[in-house]
Amino acid sequence: MKKITFYIVPLVLFCGLLVFLYRGLFADPTARQSSLLEKPMPEFVLPDLMQPQTLYTQDVFKGKLTLLNVWGVWCVTCAAEIPYLMQLRQEGKHIVGLYYDQDIDPDFGVKTLLRVQQEVREKLAQLGNPYAYNIFDVKRDLSLDLGVTGAPETYLIDQQGFIRLHHIGDVNERVWANKFAPIYEQLVSQQ
Amino acid sequence: MKFYLTMAAAVLLMFCSQAQSMGDKYPFASEADSQLFFELTKELRCPKCQNQNIADSDAMIAVDLKRKVHELILEGYDRQQVIDFMKQRYGDFVYYQPPLNPMTIWLWILPALFVVLTLIGVAVSRKRTAVIIDEAQLKKAQALLESES
Repeated sequence: MKKITFYIVPLVLFCGLLVFLYRGLFADPTARQSSLLEKPMPEFVLPDLMQPQTLYTQDVFKGKLTLLNVWGVWCVTCAAEIPYLMQLRQEGKHIVGLYYDQDIDPDFGVKTLLRVQQEVREKLAQLGNPYAYNIFDVKRDLSLDLGVTGAPETYLIDQQGFIRLHHIGDVNERVWANKFAPIYEQLVSQQ
Repeated sequence: MKFYLTMAAAVLLMFCSQAQSMGDKYPFASEADSQLFFELTKELRCPKCQNQNIADSDAMIAVDLKRKVHELILEGYDRQQVIDFMKQRYGDFVYYQPPLNPMTIWLWILPALFVVLTLIGVAVSRKRTAVIIDEAQLKKAQALLESES
């Protein structure tokens, strides 16, 4: 009896450790629950990237199921993501870009708006334009309020202007099927 | 000797210029606010580069968070209000001190449990191996010793 516990206890502990470490191999350290889920879009007033005299607020999302894609021309993964976003747009999804620039230091502002617009035009001419329009996050304040950690990130915003999903990283076929599609379909059916 | 002195002076100067540049970039009206800023940027975690605080990180998001902390302190937020502001956006993850909740309580319970169990284990095994020597054995040993000499 004593002998059995002598062998069994370390074996059980070891197996427990194995399971724990094995799961760790496939865990994604960047994955975590967004703290903005089921909350309304944060308040903001920001210009359109191409027509800066047009101003948008959080109300622009009301009444339409929207994918808000945070991106920038400097972001390599975003460029890889755009072809898939094009496909989503062709399927009739409403995609809005939240554009933010890396090189603009709000305290100094190294880049002019014209140059940013030029870069965006060139990029989208190359890859196709999946965006209905782009909101220009001038000082990256809205990104901060949204809990953006880097580009690309995508939010699913429902018809009432509530955030229903926050995805860190690029959206591709697999991510869409596993993460977006179930919630998206459900929201469409409620419409 | 001279070489070491020069090196020491160079290292000292390096630190000076660093502190100087931080102060220049994020100016405060009072020393207390400045101190709070330094403490907070050390305790807030960069959401992108996960094992750095925002003071150490040069990631864009860390720079933006530093700017926000500066802005909030200037607006008169106190320590807890700044932390809450960040937690609302980036979750508990953003602050190095984890909150006490049913899931994180194990961080405190497990080490304590480990110590208690080990102590119990040691006590039990001590008791078990303790040798009880009775009179007869003692006499036998004594006899053996005597016969040897």
